[in-house]
Amino acid sequence: MVRLLRGYAFTIAGIAIGVAGIVALGAMAERLVRFIEGGDRFVLGQISVAGSGMGMGAGFTAGGLLPAASVRAIAAVPGVSGVQAQVMLPLNPSTSQFMTLTQELVLGIDLTVATPNRYYPRLPVGQGRALRPGDRRVALVGSAFATSRDLRVGDRLPLEGEPYEVVGVLERTLTAPDRFVVVAIEDAREQWIAKDRLLRTVLASGAAALNAADLNTGAAVGWRDGEDPDAVARRIAERVAGVNVQLPSELSRLLRSSTAFLSALLVGIGMLAFVIGGLSLANTVAAAVFERIRDFGVKRALGATDLQLGGEVLAEALAVTLAGGAAGVALAMGLGAAVDGWVARTGQQLFLFSGRLLGGALVFAALLGAAAAAYATLRVVRLSPAEAIRRGA
Amino acid sequence: MLEARGLVKTYAAPAGAPIRALDHVDLSVAAGRLAVVLGPSGSGKSTLLNVLGLLEDADAGELVVGGERMSGLGRSARSRVRGRYVGFVFQSFMLLPSLSALDNVLLAGRYVGRRGPETRSRARELLGQFGVLEREHHFPAQLSGGEQQRVAFCRAVLNDPPLVLADEPTGNLDDANGRVILEALRARARAGAAVVVVSHRADAALGADAVYRMRQGRFEPGPQLPGGGTP
Repeated sequence: MVRLLRGYAFTIAGIAIGVAGIVALGAMAERLVRFIEGGDRFVLGQISVAGSGMGMGAGFTAGGLLPAASVRAIAAVPGVSGVQAQVMLPLNPSTSQFMTLTQELVLGIDLTVATPNRYYPRLPVGQGRALRPGDRRVALVGSAFATSRDLRVGDRLPLEGEPYEVVGVLERTLTAPDRFVVVAIEDAREQWIAKDRLLRTVLASGAAALNAADLNTGAAVGWRDGEDPDAVARRIAERVAGVNVQLPSELSRLLRSSTAFLSALLVGIGMLAFVIGGLSLANTVAAAVFERIRDFGVKRALGATDLQLGGEVLAEALAVTLAGGAAGVALAMGLGAAVDGWVARTGQQLFLFSGRLLGGALVFAALLGAAAAAYATLRVVRLSPAEAIRRGA
Repeated sequence: MLEARGLVKTYAAPAGAPIRALDHVDLSVAAGRLAVVLGPSGSGKSTLLNVLGLLEDADAGELVVGGERMSGLGRSARSRVRGRYVGFVFQSFMLLPSLSALDNVLLAGRYVGRRGPETRSRARELLGQFGVLEREHHFPAQLSGGEQQRVAFCRAVLNDPPLVLADEPTGNLDDANGRVILEALRARARAGAAVVVVSHRADAALGADAVYRMRQGRFEPGPQLPGGGTP
């Protein structure tokens, strides 16, 4: 077998390049899909409510202030299982980072109530610990955020001039929380005031009757078992004045449409990769079979039937295709690791080599290789052995 | 063992009239007989051998191998007949470059269901008989032309075929190796096989039971070379 594979070295290399192209582009698509799916799952796990009007515009809780009275009113709506006040702020409110997919966000959460998100009741902590009620001046940071700043548990992180201790680093989720800094809501409110001169001015003027508990950019709302989340969201909108309620299904649709262009682009590139890589693979396997036409003529002269010859060619093609496919996967993963190593300094990850991608690429390669080999074999066995020997000589 | 009557084979030419490679050829070779067909290049000898060995079809005529009529047989049936009845020796050896000498010999057994240790022993015994046993694990590219043809001969006779067909078996060999191969073919005939050799060299006919001269797809009438036989 080793001798056979060595004899097919160029064929294997050709297949490897085709498969590497498919896998590398597929891994980029997978990365984006994971990002979109992660966000989708997050927004489908809760009803997001903000105050009506314009606010900081950060993340999906965009809107005006959501005062404490509104939070209490939401909690009283039938079907609601829990409400967690939140403050979500851009870490850097410069326009260059504003509302981008890679925006770094400060998420302040009310640690005295359980997070009502059905799919993320707690964020997955990779190192250190989660936040606890009573925590102040401590931060739980996303993995990309930590990598980009070389932060570890125990390190100090300055936020709006105040030092925060990093008590935990989240597991890599390949979605929005990778760039989060999660703090107690009281700390986030202080950061908000420090960031926003207008808010400081309003509070100092005494023109608005606000206290600290009113400074919320939004709230995550859970629903009771058996309730339709969209129906509960509509109920909140009807019964609580001055709120901006996002229907989970509507938010999911918005998120998908906002990334639709990227998804379509990557699907297009992926299809192109499959066509080009597939053609290259099929052509390489078929050429390898035709190259050995003399050998097949000799085998038929020795008594090989169509079935025996077809079985041999198919087995060889599968061995060669799988070897090339495995080499292609390794090549793509090596290249991906090198590129990801390079961009990791900024907390990015461009490739996601999921099991379904790698398995799919190998199955695709094997099927295509087998089909190409079968086609070439059919062409070869139609020739008389003498003609096959003559052509291969 | 082998009975051919009125074999005709015509090839389309790229330009001009079709080429008639076999023009109503009759040939009969009994078991234990060595027949030699002599003729210049392009006379139709190789085509005759290909048709006799079912490597290609005749356009017309009748072929009987081992008492079985070949006309109307499908591809797989013809393959089985080749595996069971025919051993080929080619001018350019036709060893598979990816297989060792031993594996090349064993290849002949693979398609007729002979894969056991007895077949392996038999293959090694043949390689020993022809002085190439110490080369059993060498690949064709590591063997001389004479060694390759000896390995190819071992492959041709591994299954003890009742019919051995040799196409210019000494064409790529020096005199010494050529003599070894021709003697081996004579020995196969003495052992009971029907042997047909085509060659452009007259010395290939030494010891033949029948000699035929071929020109333009036909056997020529006329005086025979030592060994006797008539077309």
